[in-house]
Amino acid sequence: MDLLGQVANGFAVALTPINLLYCFIGVFIGTLVGVLPGIGPISAMSLLLPVTLSGTPESGIIMMAGIYYGSMYGGSTTSILVNIPGEATSVVTCLDGHQMAKQGRAGPALGIAAFGSFIAGTVAVVGLMVIAPFLAGFAVAFGPAEMFSLMILGLVIVTFLTQGSMLKSLLMASAGVVLGLIGLDSITAQPRLTFDRIELYDGIGLVPVVMGLFGVAEVLSNIEQGVKRTITSTKISNLLPNKEDWQRSAGPIGRGTVLGFFLGIIPGGGAVIAAFASYALEKRISKTPERFGKGAIEGVAGPEAANNSAAGGAFIPLLTLGIPPNVVMALLLGAFVIHNIQPGPLLMVQRPDLFWGVITSMYIGNVMLLVLNLPLIGMWVQLLRLPYNILFPMILLFTVIGVFASSNNVFDLYVMLAFGLIGYLTRKLGYEAAPLVLAFVLGAIMENKLRTALIISAGDLTTFFKKPISAVCLTIAAIMLLMPLIPQLRRKREAVALEDGNN
Amino acid sequence: MKSSGLRINNAELWGGAIWFAVSLFVLDQGQKLGLGSVNAPGMGFMMFWIGIVMAALSLGVAVQAIRSEGPSVRALWAETRWVKTLIVIVTFGLYGFAFTSLGFLLSTIPLMLVLLRAIDPVRWTIAIPLAFGAPILIWWILKTLLQIQLPNGVFEIG
Repeated sequence: MDLLGQVANGFAVALTPINLLYCFIGVFIGTLVGVLPGIGPISAMSLLLPVTLSGTPESGIIMMAGIYYGSMYGGSTTSILVNIPGEATSVVTCLDGHQMAKQGRAGPALGIAAFGSFIAGTVAVVGLMVIAPFLAGFAVAFGPAEMFSLMILGLVIVTFLTQGSMLKSLLMASAGVVLGLIGLDSITAQPRLTFDRIELYDGIGLVPVVMGLFGVAEVLSNIEQGVKRTITSTKISNLLPNKEDWQRSAGPIGRGTVLGFFLGIIPGGGAVIAAFASYALEKRISKTPERFGKGAIEGVAGPEAANNSAAGGAFIPLLTLGIPPNVVMALLLGAFVIHNIQPGPLLMVQRPDLFWGVITSMYIGNVMLLVLNLPLIGMWVQLLRLPYNILFPMILLFTVIGVFASSNNVFDLYVMLAFGLIGYLTRKLGYEAAPLVLAFVLGAIMENKLRTALIISAGDLTTFFKKPISAVCLTIAAIMLLMPLIPQLRRKREAVALEDGNN
Repeated sequence: MKSSGLRINNAELWGGAIWFAVSLFVLDQGQKLGLGSVNAPGMGFMMFWIGIVMAALSLGVAVQAIRSEGPSVRALWAETRWVKTLIVIVTFGLYGFAFTSLGFLLSTIPLMLVLLRAIDPVRWTIAIPLAFGAPILIWWILKTLLQIQLPNGVFEIG
């Protein structure tokens, strides 16, 4: 069937009333968690992962995807009005967005953020539709060696881009791999590290691990620091940007869209890097770079377009290779796995309804987000007034319910508590959780591919270097691992390194 | 960074030491599970090699901690509201144990009350309705709409 036919089928799936409802719930919750500082898409998706069990796979994944790209929209509101990024992807938006708000231009800043996000999000979906089938065809040729090397590269990129010591990030990634190996061995079906606990035979659940590391640990850290926020008392009027605003923003939106999309595809890359890269690009090519940081609308339009476009691009490695490029996509992989579906090159052949249904739902979700973000900004601002001392007990309550509902097992509650404590303590010492989670999801797959590759090649370790794709991936990974050893390059890494869990 | 030499009260050094202990455990488990051979890797093959990598990395962290001035354990919690964090951890830990024995409702309502009142106190007029209302609403949704049975404890409430 041709592309248009597939797209039409996708719309037929996405436009069913139940999927529209799930899409709406997803983008609504996404915007909500994007608006609220202290809770992000990772926590929200972890909380709602069990909910995906109650419906069809399409509905659940449409909702989870909606949370992700919805949070990209919502994050800008807090950046502009409160100068606190709701999401790390919106850190850059604070620089000029909040300045615009202080100058009485909160409306156009919020407006261009919403329109830029909409345009970029929609273009990214078109890109996803065109590139994903092509890449899926190409990915069929990937053998175990290539898959293993690509996953190594993804993990190395994540550790490279994580803030702080790369040694610590690599340690977290290694620990994640070990945790991922707990349970029955994929080749011999013998138990490993289960300590005679039957609950561990299927491995540690993704939901309690993520909820502990991100949900509980985040709450503990916030309580310790004391979350306080004040809202700029700017009157929000005239959300529509004027002609001059559009003239200034058109280029940044276009460039941000293209840049963000391609950065989103790279394993380990993502929305945060895209937003920073877009801001840097716009400032560099601007004829008046001195305006940046003082309320330049380009500094809002470009990064907001880039982070939304990257969110779309990030679906490509997951849907075509079955490899999550970041933690959010790892959670989405979890949603697929819960329904016994393996994303990868065969997904669009075996489950075209799901593949195209999810992609086309993003068009619809982007329209819903535009509607949600423009007229309802007043409501989101009111939500920002929700005090954290009321919010955090609710978050903890939802983590308990989410974990228990996902498995009906109290053991998972203890796992969540343990990981909450581990997450809190490791944060204290500057260890980021993102590499651990990504490695945890990839651990068992990586091991399987490594052992399969070695068995197929009769123990020839050079097989990883004889295959061109594998060799390229490992070479890039090696370069990235060695970069921090050279002081000049280490400084460059520190300049681009970003906070975890947000890409 | 100022060189400080070996100082026992160095949080980074303790971090490296804990990781090193973990890596030794991983190595040991990998070996026990069986390494196999390169052309037929065993169950412990990857775990063993990951253990080696972890040991090297944790030694790297420890060496960095010795060479650079790392914060003391006390400094990590200085000027923070660590008592409040501790209250949440202990309360949540106790809740984990009470969850099955008392049941969802009888354990969650007190948990919510403690969290709402002991950290940054919420007014009683908000705390009480929220502490009772939220768990009861969630329990009702799970039980009636999603048909998920939450623990009802020894008193069989819920």
